[in-house]
Amino acid sequence: MLLSVRDLTVTYVTQASAVPAVRGVSFDLESGASLGIAGESGCGKSTMGAAMLRLLPSSAHVSGEVILNREDVYAMPFSRLRAVRWAGISIVMQGALHSLNPVRTIGWQIAEAIELHNHDLRDHAVRSRVGELLEMVSLPAKCAKDFPHQLSGGQRQRVLIAMALACNPQLLIADEPTTALDVMVQAQIIELLQDLRSRLNLAMIFITHDLSLLSTVCDRIAIMYAGRIVEEGPSGSLLSGPAHPYAAALAAAFPTIGDHSSRMTPSGLGGDPPDPTDLGNGCPFAPRCPRVEELCLGYDVPLIDIGDQRKAACIHVEPSRVAL
Amino acid sequence: MKNSTLSVEDLKVQFSRRREVARAVDGVNLDIAAGEVVALVGESGCGKTTLARTMMGLEMPKSGEVRFNGSPLGRRAMREYRRKVQMVFQDPSGALNPRDTIYEAVAEGLRVHKVAGDEVAQVAAALSKCGLRPPERFFNRYPHEVSGGQRQRVVIAAAMVLEPQMLIADEPVASLDASVRGEILKLLRDLVDQHGLGMLVITHDLGLAWNIADRIAVMYLGRIVEIGSCEEILEHPKHPYTQALLSVVPESKRMEQQILTGETPDPLHIPKGCRFHPRCPLMQNGEADRLGIADRCRGADIGLRDVGQGTRVACHAI
Ligand SMILES: Nc1ncnc2c1ncn2[C@@H]1O[C@H](COP(=O)(O)OP(=O)(O)OP(=O)(O)O)[C@@H](O)[C@H]1O
Ligand SMILES: Nc1ncnc2c1ncn2[C@@H]1O[C@H](COP(=O)(O)OP(=O)(O)OP(=O)(O)O)[C@@H](O)[C@H]1O
Ligand SMILES: [Mg+2]
Ligand SMILES: [Mg+2]
Repeated sequence: MLLSVRDLTVTYVTQASAVPAVRGVSFDLESGASLGIAGESGCGKSTMGAAMLRLLPSSAHVSGEVILNREDVYAMPFSRLRAVRWAGISIVMQGALHSLNPVRTIGWQIAEAIELHNHDLRDHAVRSRVGELLEMVSLPAKCAKDFPHQLSGGQRQRVLIAMALACNPQLLIADEPTTALDVMVQAQIIELLQDLRSRLNLAMIFITHDLSLLSTVCDRIAIMYAGRIVEEGPSGSLLSGPAHPYAAALAAAFPTIGDHSSRMTPSGLGGDPPDPTDLGNGCPFAPRCPRVEELCLGYDVPLIDIGDQRKAACIHVEPSRVAL
Repeated sequence: MKNSTLSVEDLKVQFSRRREVARAVDGVNLDIAAGEVVALVGESGCGKTTLARTMMGLEMPKSGEVRFNGSPLGRRAMREYRRKVQMVFQDPSGALNPRDTIYEAVAEGLRVHKVAGDEVAQVAAALSKCGLRPPERFFNRYPHEVSGGQRQRVVIAAAMVLEPQMLIADEPVASLDASVRGEILKLLRDLVDQHGLGMLVITHDLGLAWNIADRIAVMYLGRIVEIGSCEEILEHPKHPYTQALLSVVPESKRMEQQILTGETPDPLHIPKGCRFHPRCPLMQNGEADRLGIADRCRGADIGLRDVGQGTRVACHAI
């Protein structure tokens, strides 16, 4: 197993409040596999992604285990952690499109990422590696001399992916890599990521709020709600037959073009997104759930195995299996 | 209110930058009738927002006309027009003043247009029409005190309070979570069905069009290149650009992906001939040569032509 996450919990503690952003997440990822994580804004996707590499601010209190190649990321000394960042796992952060240094060339910034881990590489070796990485993300070599503002959004996203690949990671975490991009450019970036996955045998965690994207990119999908995974399973069966009512509502929000039952009947979910500081004791989705029952209000269902490599956290999925 | 239509005729809008001219809207014809939803789709930068702003009288056309119920949009009738045709703008963060309560945000239009009648009652009616019920509970709240979906409802209520005959909505759900998206689309469709207004919805989301639109217009580099009923366009797209756009949308049925290479095209340099030809799959796979049209694709501009089923397409291959 490449990565095992066990009961990961992250709480942001400030003077005013404690925000439980991730509440006991567990999952496994094999090498070369891909997992998509979807859920609405604020459900904890980015917090979970950043927690994999201990990249959270000091206000974040973390417990649980993140085991990469049998080594616990949270137990390793900082020197070891530095080696694991970039070379073991690397992240393309959400919104990083705007974080490239405006006064440095693209080539300089990619070289910096390479040298971070290979201090003794000679100049020409670094330069040829920059060229190799640009080619890998299908950018012309002359882009190395450009500044960020001279590139389009799609090209800048390719640069960020090139930087993330600089040290040959085993796992790439891409947090909303296509969100600000146009449909056609989005398709280009997704094609690139899939191509890299198969060429480099790269494992990937793809974070997005757009569930419809994940079917083309990922083997498995996890749906998050209020800091928990509420359903997890193979992409195909999860999308065609979601078990958790929240997953069902998300899937229904993206109609199939050509399916006449969804024509002129947009489907949505009423109610407000959950307030992480005020979740109560029951199932956090209960206030918005079309299938809510008395029982849901007082019992917070854990993620239970429902067969066919699927799991869901809902009393309706298979009541007999819910240990009461 | 019956049979009101908003139409544009051969509309061109240009922006000059230094010594170059961006032809952002480059000859568009379009009608929107009362009771229908028309979706305008196309890549970023193809001129959708510019077209909408010109229809609102916020940009001056270089040539061509915007007409409402037959009469051209001019300075004299502008006040009246601005009441009957409302727009929901693309950038949601700028749409509401954070220091105004929701009541103030919705009442503002009534005050600007000096609308007679009971202001409180009109604000309450608009809010509840947009699903914010009971409306009084929202009066004194500030934008940051409601959810994103509710904020978008407030923006729509601020447009609906003037009882417009036409609504132009620029990317009305792009900033919203998937779970909330359907609710807003349902609201927009209901406004059309129950109050008979006409609506132009600008979006790059073809699934959204499938959800609520009667007709679809596909825009490419300042022009409409295909227009017709929603079913025809999404189930039997004719223009190679529409086909490519549809093939990359995750919601479309499994069709072979045609990912167009290159970045979004540039209105400063519109290609000669068919404006799509440098990216056209038919040119790249030799199909245009086989059909003997490649020279025309490269050299002859082409307008919309009827191809039956109420669809009109601008392509030499059809
Ligand atoms: N530095 C921080 N301090 C305090 N709270 C935070 C911090 N960062 C995030 N949060 C809170 O933690 C929760 C989860 O945030 P997170 O950014 O992980 O969500 P997300 O699922 O990535 O959302 P989005 O789709 O909007 O990116 C939210 O309630 C958020 O407000
Ligand atoms: N005020 C302006 N001055 C100069 N150029 C402009 C102006 N407004 C728009 N443009 C240019 O006109 C073209 C069309 O822009 P427009 O905003 O209409 O596109 P759009 O289809 O709405 O794109 P998006 O999907 O990104 O909103 C673009 O090339 C844009 O840069
Ligand atoms: Mg995030
Ligand atoms: Mg726009």
